Amino acid sequence: MPAEDMGKLTNRTRLIFAVSSVLFLAVLAISPFKDFRREWKQYKRSYLRFAQGRPDTKKLLADFRPDIDQIWLPGMNVVDRCTTCHQGITQTTLSDNAVPHPFRAHPPIPHNVRDWGCTVCHRGQGPATEVAEAHESTLAWEQPILPTRFLQASCGTCHYADMPQTPQLTRGRQILAELNCQGCHRLPGIDRPAMFGPDLTNIGTKVSRAWMYKWLKEPRTMVDKDGNVTVNGYETEEEPRMPKFRLTETELRALSAYLSVQKTKAFAPYKIDPRVVAAWSKNPELASQGELRFRQMFCSTCHSLAVTRAGETKLIGGDIGPELTKVGSKVNPDWLVAWLRDPQGYLPHTRMPRYGWSDEDLYKVTQYINTKLTDSDLLTGIPELGQPADQEIQLGHRLFLEKGCASCHVIEGLNPQKDFGPDLSALGAKNASELEFSKSNIPHNLVSYIQAKLQDPTSVNPAARMPQYNWNQSDLDAVTTALLSMKGAPATSALQNLVVPRKDVAFHPTGSFAEVYDRYKCSTCHKFNGYGGDLAPDLSYEGSRAQRQWIVDFLKNPQTLRPTLVLRMPQFNMSDKDAATLADYMAMVLQNTAANPAAVDAKQFTPAMAALGKQLYEVKYQCQSCHTIGGTGGYVGPNLNNAGGWLTPAWVEAWLKNPQSLIPDTIEPRRSFTEDEVKALTAYLMTLRQSIKPQKTAKLAPSEATAQGASR
Amino acid sequence: MRRYFRTNALLLTILASVSGCGKRAETVKAHPLLRAYDTEADWSDAQHIIPLSYQQAQGKRIFYQQCVWCHADATPAGPSNRSNLTPAPPLLNDGATLNPESDEFMQNIITLGGSAMGKSAMMPPYGRMLAPDEIRSVIAFTRAIAQPPYQQPGRHGSQYSAK
Repeated sequence: MPAEDMGKLTNRTRLIFAVSSVLFLAVLAISPFKDFRREWKQYKRSYLRFAQGRPDTKKLLADFRPDIDQIWLPGMNVVDRCTTCHQGITQTTLSDNAVPHPFRAHPPIPHNVRDWGCTVCHRGQGPATEVAEAHESTLAWEQPILPTRFLQASCGTCHYADMPQTPQLTRGRQILAELNCQGCHRLPGIDRPAMFGPDLTNIGTKVSRAWMYKWLKEPRTMVDKDGNVTVNGYETEEEPRMPKFRLTETELRALSAYLSVQKTKAFAPYKIDPRVVAAWSKNPELASQGELRFRQMFCSTCHSLAVTRAGETKLIGGDIGPELTKVGSKVNPDWLVAWLRDPQGYLPHTRMPRYGWSDEDLYKVTQYINTKLTDSDLLTGIPELGQPADQEIQLGHRLFLEKGCASCHVIEGLNPQKDFGPDLSALGAKNASELEFSKSNIPHNLVSYIQAKLQDPTSVNPAARMPQYNWNQSDLDAVTTALLSMKGAPATSALQNLVVPRKDVAFHPTGSFAEVYDRYKCSTCHKFNGYGGDLAPDLSYEGSRAQRQWIVDFLKNPQTLRPTLVLRMPQFNMSDKDAATLADYMAMVLQNTAANPAAVDAKQFTPAMAALGKQLYEVKYQCQSCHTIGGTGGYVGPNLNNAGGWLTPAWVEAWLKNPQSLIPDTIEPRRSFTEDEVKALTAYLMTLRQSIKPQKTAKLAPSEATAQGASR
Repeated sequence: MRRYFRTNALLLTILASVSGCGKRAETVKAHPLLRAYDTEADWSDAQHIIPLSYQQAQGKRIFYQQCVWCHADATPAGPSNRSNLTPAPPLLNDGATLNPESDEFMQNIITLGGSAMGKSAMMPPYGRMLAPDEIRSVIAFTRAIAQPPYQQPGRHGSQYSAK
């Protein structure tokens, strides 16, 4: 029965047809459904609901469109669709923390979102319209969004000059410079110091082979199980510049052998006057007198010592020079005498000034160092090394080059390998697939890679030549930020034009001033026209600020103007001639046109003006909250006991009107004094005088505090 | 047989188109503090790390330049000027004193100084030195580190949701 069969078949076919049609329809419906459910559309709709629930709906929805929004900046290679979901970014009323992401307004920043886009700073995939693709690493995109913690890295990709707004980036760049990372890596924009590590041409004349063995094995730094870094057994927060190299016993022997024979230029030994030695050598006070002199000369401004106070031992003092707690067990006593007399003769690039030593002082201080700053256990546990064998020396020579020692330390006649470590100038732009993770368990992204490599280079590369540093978390993050900022040359010419270059600062004095300035290494602590250290006051306008006679007196006998400062100007034992050379140059050259000492006549100030000024100082403006006069007042600003003998009236007037115009980063608040008030305050300050007395015995115990940064 | 084939083909098509929905990028879990612009250790409990937003971090930077000398017991230079002053300025994290003050009052006293607001003249005016936004950021930082924690007046957060 074909008809029945047909009918049966028809029914079955119908059924199949019906089912497949329904299925087919369902399949067709998937596409519009998926489209409807797309993440960005969901965010669009929820923004709509969110805005409608707020009082300012109209304003929030003024430029609302239901489709994809994008910021297109062809010159900068920016196609950012982030604002499709982050719809409230420019709405000032949505800045409250209670507003949920992604609708919250962007915090106020110096750049306008519409002019810059988002990915220039935040990175990530601009054209993406899915949350994961925009923010994270995918198979096709490996530049995920930058964790907020490291966001300052993006400022650094264009701003090569340091900015006050990016302290973490600045700190990271400073650390890269301080630790001499430039020795092995190409790091554009990081200052190359005049000298990386100490010059080792004559190291054999300075320290013993056993000491070198110990140093190479454990360069002062130890980390206990809690991660505390100690230097010579004392806790510190400073990362010593010399990192730890993972050296085997053979390597330690070879390197110490090689270094101990570096004695090409013998230093000229200095013989201290025998009469001084005869007078002092039997004196039981010798070491304590030496210690007193050591303190009076403010060696601690640059060098730290371990000090025990209330059962707690810590390092106190500056970090410009090495820590000296055990230096007496380190250096050859004859070398020490020669070094202190003329440091620049041994190391031309040293930052150590040349003091005008008397034989007596030199004897006392070196005896103090040799007898008190010692540790008889320093070299225990070091195996018997004996005379260096030729074989060891040769191996040491090879290792010195292969381990990268030569990249930081000069030995005359030895040529280091060029480009020893990888070029890091575009590290911040690297994809995760370009990095070596080896067997490490860390997440495969650039930030984790950089942090793992910095903390333990062998964790991502067992064969790494990079030595071991010990970071605290904030330094690690700072260095990571600085490295992430290095994205190489800007991709487009429009971006190239946005680069804010570093200012090349230099200060090239001439004539007799230059010679004295160089001998006392003034720029180690003081800034001159933007060049130099920041431990001590900026001297760019010292000739406008201070009276010439005061400068001379101060140089001869430095006194601190700030009661809380511990790090002070060292006592150089400066000759009259040197002091006059420096003071004359400052008075002539280091001037600010806004404060010309010749332009203000001190005779115009009457006692009546001064009386009014005193009133203003003490009652209306209460300057004593920060400045000390007599025995009372605050510690924030310099004491003004001798303001009349120290400052020029022109400077005081200009300063009171606008302190930041003279020293941009001073913390003295700018007030709105009237012209009469400025005159009255100046008149009062000019009446304050106090002669500088010769320095009395300094306190034996240095204060707990360190005073970096307080010099402003 | 053919029927099964057809059904399978259909199912496969469906599966193929649905599977696209489940595609997820490789997720990298960031440490919660990585999402903060900066951090500050709680002054009364160093173990407690407070995450700071961009604005609060700007306030922190300005605080440690300008204000720390009198409004903290330890400064980057060591000792603090606070003990020299009568009346003693409040510590910046002193929530008991500062939480009740409105943002507007704080903005005014920093801008105009203590004497303009009936407080000690020892507090100088910063209106010619710091921009209003900078002062706002200092207030934001103050609120972030306050102990006891600062509660924003009339805060209504939970009624909004992102999705």
